[in-house]
Amino acid sequence: MNIRPFLYTLLFLILAVILSIAVGSVFIPPADLGRILIGWLDRANFSEPLKTFAFILTGIRLPRTALVLLTGAALGGSGAAYQGLFRNPLADPYLIGVASGAGLGAVLAMSINWPYSFWGLLAVPVAAFIGALLTVFLVYTLARVGKTVPTTNLILAGVAFGSFATAVTTYLMLRSTGELHRAIAWLNGGASQAGWEPVLAILPFLAVGLGILVLSGHALNLLQFGDDQAQQMGLPVTRARTLILLAASLATAAAVSFSGIIGFIGLIVPHVIRLWFGADYRRLLPLSLISGAGALLLADVIARSVIAPQELPVGIVTALVGAPFFLWVLRRSKNQGYW
Amino acid sequence: MFRKYLIVLLIVPLLAACSSAQASSATSVPTQPANTLPSATANPAITLSDGLNRTVTLTSPAQRVVSLAPANTEILFAIGAGAQVVGRDETSDYPAVALSLPTIGGYSGFNLEAIVALHPDLVLAGGINTPELVSSLEQLGLMVYFLPNPNTLEEMYTNLETVAKLTGHETETAALVDSLKSRVAAVDSKIKPLSNSPTVYYELDATDPTKPYTAGPGSFVDLLIDRAGGINIGADLFTKWAQISLEQLVVANPGIIILGDSAYGETPAKVAARPGWGTLTAVQTGQIYAFDDNLVSRPGPRLVDGLEALAKLLHPDLFK
Repeated sequence: MNIRPFLYTLLFLILAVILSIAVGSVFIPPADLGRILIGWLDRANFSEPLKTFAFILTGIRLPRTALVLLTGAALGGSGAAYQGLFRNPLADPYLIGVASGAGLGAVLAMSINWPYSFWGLLAVPVAAFIGALLTVFLVYTLARVGKTVPTTNLILAGVAFGSFATAVTTYLMLRSTGELHRAIAWLNGGASQAGWEPVLAILPFLAVGLGILVLSGHALNLLQFGDDQAQQMGLPVTRARTLILLAASLATAAAVSFSGIIGFIGLIVPHVIRLWFGADYRRLLPLSLISGAGALLLADVIARSVIAPQELPVGIVTALVGAPFFLWVLRRSKNQGYW
Repeated sequence: MFRKYLIVLLIVPLLAACSSAQASSATSVPTQPANTLPSATANPAITLSDGLNRTVTLTSPAQRVVSLAPANTEILFAIGAGAQVVGRDETSDYPAVALSLPTIGGYSGFNLEAIVALHPDLVLAGGINTPELVSSLEQLGLMVYFLPNPNTLEEMYTNLETVAKLTGHETETAALVDSLKSRVAAVDSKIKPLSNSPTVYYELDATDPTKPYTAGPGSFVDLLIDRAGGINIGADLFTKWAQISLEQLVVANPGIIILGDSAYGETPAKVAARPGWGTLTAVQTGQIYAFDDNLVSRPGPRLVDGLEALAKLLHPDLFK
């Protein structure tokens, strides 16, 4: 297996991580950054401004970098899986309603005045997570015909239910008093809580979901021949598809629960990887995962710095910067029949 | 193939168990920053319960305050704590001196790094801020007080007194509250004997002039119009900020139109030119007025200015 694409994408990810740690509204001079790293074990004795810088790094930037990295990985990986699963270049992780279900859950939770407590603060992410998974379950059940689940049915049921959920969400937002900006911020992505708890909370779900996806490359390759062919080649088609669908949805649901709806990463990253490194899903999946993380980190750096000290919702940046970039890649590619 | 999945499935619950245990142990520790316990020193500790039912304890009045809401900034400056404010949110634009303070983000997102870098000893959050933001700041070890949105003028006075305790300006604030109360009483005494109350339509946003947004029950606009001797035609709507259809507006036929959205470029001439609006009495008699919405939308001491301005618009002969 050619190892070069992995080197490139990993290098990209490492650069993005470094940028994400180095760039913020408070400028930390590289020399001080170095001093903090070297004197890390002795950080209790730091004097100002090193003390504040070290605190900003550990308390704010590192947890945020970790959360954004995981979210991007989940979106990139699930996007690649969805596209392979539905054999549709327009598929993204939100195709069958994960985003609209999560949005409905989140906005419902926001309409209730929770007590200020550990669980009260978890209400929105938990409701979003449950909303997303319930939607996938409902859509899957509705799309089922006997023992098979035709992809067309899945897409149609997903789109229909998604519209319904979005309508309810909009209605709730119009009826609400005052909480509107919170809902809008969440629906545009990037609503975040500081600290490591969000990272730890989504890690197990991402580990299951993305773990399964990374191992599904071969199954997805077979699925590209069509269901009958894949079946003849020895793949238990329905079972494999269900498992991949669940794994991708689990990862996406966990990713959006704390970070809100971030569009475009799950759609574009797999396409760029496919254009540059080919359509073999054994490679495409891990590469999309790594690049998704890098791409979202870069978008987050931009979101934090363009109108600092204010922040843009990261979902706006992914589309604003991602779309032209993708069109450029598409135009330049000689491999026009890549799909 | 599927054996591989099985291994993953076995490993994952283990991982989940580890990390959820970690997560809960990390958060079950009281998130309150470690307060120094009140001791028998010259400065008795200030202990107050805030709008999220958190207990906030300061050993001495705050000297470096970051305000996260425009109303909070106005309160801080009005009670004489302006010199103790070191940071403000993007929308805090009053009083004008506040504009020279560094901003720490705003509506679209608050910048935690910028807040931490200001080394505040108190972050004054308001009703427009989210509990998530309060929790994030708390986890960063900052002292946060969440000032709830008041629903009445009395609750607004209480907020002034609360901020006074936090910043050590209780004497000035007592005088301020007294003067605010007497100004309200002066308006009340002129309005009470009146028998005629004009109907008022207060416009918040007419991006779609066939169903503009107006102030409904529970909002300060509604409360103050009533107190200023007017009848708010939005009083029967179902939320604080609600859309009203042009049909309803025609039926209610307000005698006075107040443009709270004048800051966004709405003018009496534009209102008169809107299709279908010519039938309204207010348009025909030219009773359309631009208005500074900040006077009634920010729950701070300038609500009383708002009350006086409204009373003057509704009853010009009484308030000369």
